[in-house]
Amino acid sequence: MNPRVDTIRRFTARHIVNHWVMLIAFTGLVITGMPQKFPGEAWAKGIVLIVGGVERVRFVHHLLGTIMALQLVWHVLEGVWLHLVKRLGMPMVPRLADVKDFMQQIKFNIGMEKHPPRMDRYGFAEKLEYLALVWGTAAMVLTGLLLLYPVRWSSLFPGEVILAAKAAHGGEAILAFLSILTWHVYFVHIRHWNTAIFNGKLDAEAYAEEHPAELARLRRGEEAAPRAIETWRIAVFLVVTAATIAGVAALYWWVRDSGATLLTINVPGMS
Amino acid sequence: MESKRRTSVAYLLAVAAAILLCGHGLAADDSACLECHGSKGQITDAAGAMDLKLTPERIEQLVRHAPEAGAPHAGIACLDCHPKAGEIPHPAGMLKESPCVTCHEDELKQVNKSTHRDPKGGSDLRAPCWACHRAHDVRAVKDPRSAMSPFNIASRCLNCHEKREYLVGVHGHGVQLGGLDFAATCVSCHGGHDILAPSEAGSRVARRNISFTCGKCHGRVAEAYRKSVHGAALTEQDNADVPTCVDCHEAHGTLDPLLPRFRLGSPEMCGHCHSNKTMMVKYKISTAVYDTYVADFHGTTAELFRAASPNQPLNKAVCYDCHGYHDVESVRTAGDALIKERLLAKCQVCHPNTTVSFLTAWTGHYEPSPSKYPLIYWVKVFYRLVIPGTIGFFLVYIAVDVWGRRRHRRSS
Repeated sequence: MNPRVDTIRRFTARHIVNHWVMLIAFTGLVITGMPQKFPGEAWAKGIVLIVGGVERVRFVHHLLGTIMALQLVWHVLEGVWLHLVKRLGMPMVPRLADVKDFMQQIKFNIGMEKHPPRMDRYGFAEKLEYLALVWGTAAMVLTGLLLLYPVRWSSLFPGEVILAAKAAHGGEAILAFLSILTWHVYFVHIRHWNTAIFNGKLDAEAYAEEHPAELARLRRGEEAAPRAIETWRIAVFLVVTAATIAGVAALYWWVRDSGATLLTINVPGMS
Repeated sequence: MESKRRTSVAYLLAVAAAILLCGHGLAADDSACLECHGSKGQITDAAGAMDLKLTPERIEQLVRHAPEAGAPHAGIACLDCHPKAGEIPHPAGMLKESPCVTCHEDELKQVNKSTHRDPKGGSDLRAPCWACHRAHDVRAVKDPRSAMSPFNIASRCLNCHEKREYLVGVHGHGVQLGGLDFAATCVSCHGGHDILAPSEAGSRVARRNISFTCGKCHGRVAEAYRKSVHGAALTEQDNADVPTCVDCHEAHGTLDPLLPRFRLGSPEMCGHCHSNKTMMVKYKISTAVYDTYVADFHGTTAELFRAASPNQPLNKAVCYDCHGYHDVESVRTAGDALIKERLLAKCQVCHPNTTVSFLTAWTGHYEPSPSKYPLIYWVKVFYRLVIPGTIGFFLVYIAVDVWGRRRHRRSS
C-alpha cells in the first residue's frame, strides 16, 4: 500500500470476521442452493457433478445454512451486548435523515442540488443493504427450517405453509443474490474499490466523500467516552443469552429425528 | 500346362471311378462327395484341378461333414437335396427346388402365411428355411449347437434384423450371460414359422396382443396391466395412445426394471406421454404433472441425483411409487377420501411419522392458483413483483449515480 495515502481505521476484527463468515456462507449457499431451484438446467447438473452428488450439495447447504443461522443469533446477541450493556448507539438503524440523504443524493446526481449529502458512519446505501441482509437472513433461516423438517412442522401448520416457505426461500434467494450482484457490487467494487471490510482501513479521500460527518467528528477527536457498565444490564444480557441458547436447543430437540428425512432406505426392488 | 491338364484328367477319372466303384450310387453314402468336400485341402485340390479360383471364405463354406448319428438329418444324402451333384464339374442350380418340403410340408405352409413368405406368392421366401436353420448342420433344437437353440437363435435373426439391443437387454443377457434357456428369445415373442409383422392384427406383438405374449412368462403382471387404466383402454377401446408393455420396457433392449437406471429414468418415461398436450387434452389430464414433480422435492432430487450418479439407487419417490406401475389406476375412480387415505399410506412407507396434515405439503401436481393452494400462489406473485421491482430500482438508481458522478467529475 502507498504509505503516503492517509488511511483511517473503519472496521475492527469483529466486523472483518463477521463479514468473512457471511461471505463464505452466502457464496456457498448460492452455489449449493441454485441447482436445487433450477434442477433441469445443465449448469445446475454441472454444479452437482462438481460438488459430488445432490446429497453432498444438500449437506453443504444445510451446514452453511446452520452457520448463517447461528451467525444471525450471534449478531442479535452482539447487538444486545453493545447497545444494552455497553450503551453504544445503533448506527445501522435507519433514521429520517437517511431518507433525506437519499433524496439529496439523487438531486445532486441530476443536478438539482449543489452538494452531496454529508453522511455519517453508515450511509443510506449501507443501511439499506444491512437491513435487507438481516431481514433476508431471518426469512431464509425461518423458511429453511420449515423445509428441513417438513414432517415435524406439518404437525403445527397445514402442509401448504411448507410449500409456501419453499416458494419464499427460492424467491428470497434470487432477490438476495441479485441484490448482491447489483447494489453491493456497485457500491463497494465499482463506485469505489473498497477493501475496508478486509483490512479494516479506508483511505481518507474515500472516507471524506462517503462519511464526511463521521470523519469530521473523528478529526475533532469527539470520541464518546465509554459509559459505565451496570450489573443489571449484564444480568439482562445473560438472561437473554441463556433464553436464546435454550430456545435454539429446544427447537433442535423438537425437530431432531422427526421423520423429516427417510427413516428407512426402502427402495422398491432394492431391498 | 500340358502336365497340369493331364493331372486334372487323371483326377477326374479317379473321382468317376470312385463313384462307379461304390456301386450303390451316392444315395446311401456321401463318401464320394466328401472326397472333395471333406476338408479345405481337398476343396483346394479339386478347385485347382478344375482351374477354379475360390476365395478362402468360399473354400471354408464348401467344407461339409456327414451328419452325426442321431442328428435329425442323419441318413439324408447329399443327392437328396442336390440331385444334380453327380455331374462333375457341378452344373449351376445345384439345389433342388424347395428341398425341405418333402419332409416339412406343414412348416412350409406356415411360413407361406407368415411375413417371411414370398411377397409375389411364389416359393421365393424372404427368409428361406436355411436362413434360420442353416443348410447343412441342422440339429435338434435341444442340442446347444443347434442354430435354433436359445443361445444361438438371436444370431440367426440378427443377420437380417437390426435389433442388436436385444443382446444387452434383460432377456438377451438372461440367455447369453445367465444361461437361462427359458429367457425370451426372438421366437418366444415373435413366433417361428408363423411369424407376422407387428402391424398385422394376428401378430403376437401387435399392440393388442403384446400383453398376452409377455404374459406367457409374466402372467400376473400382464393381468394387472390389462386391468389398469392403460391396459383396459387398450383391450376395451383399442386405444392407440396408452402404453403397452414395450412402450415402458422397450421391446428389444428391455432394461432390468430393478436397475437404478430404470428407476431414475422412469419420470421422464411417464412424462413423455403425460407432458404431451395434444395427447392429454383428449383425456382431460393435466400436462403439468412432470414439471410439478420435478419442481417438488422428490423430483428435484431425482433429477439432480441422476445427473451425478445414474447407476446408484435412489430412495426418493418416482411416479410409480405413488401411482403404481402395472396396476396404475385413474385418480378419478377412487374418490377424494380414498385417494387421501391411500396417499397417506404411500407417504408413510418412507416417512412413518407423517399425519394427514402432511398431505398438503404436496400440491398433488396442481399448479398453485388463487383457488388451489392460494398461499403458495400469492407468495410466488409477491416475489414475481418484488424481485424485478427491487432490482429494477437498484439498477435505475445505479445508472443515475454513474451518470451524475461522471458529470460532476467532468465539471470539476
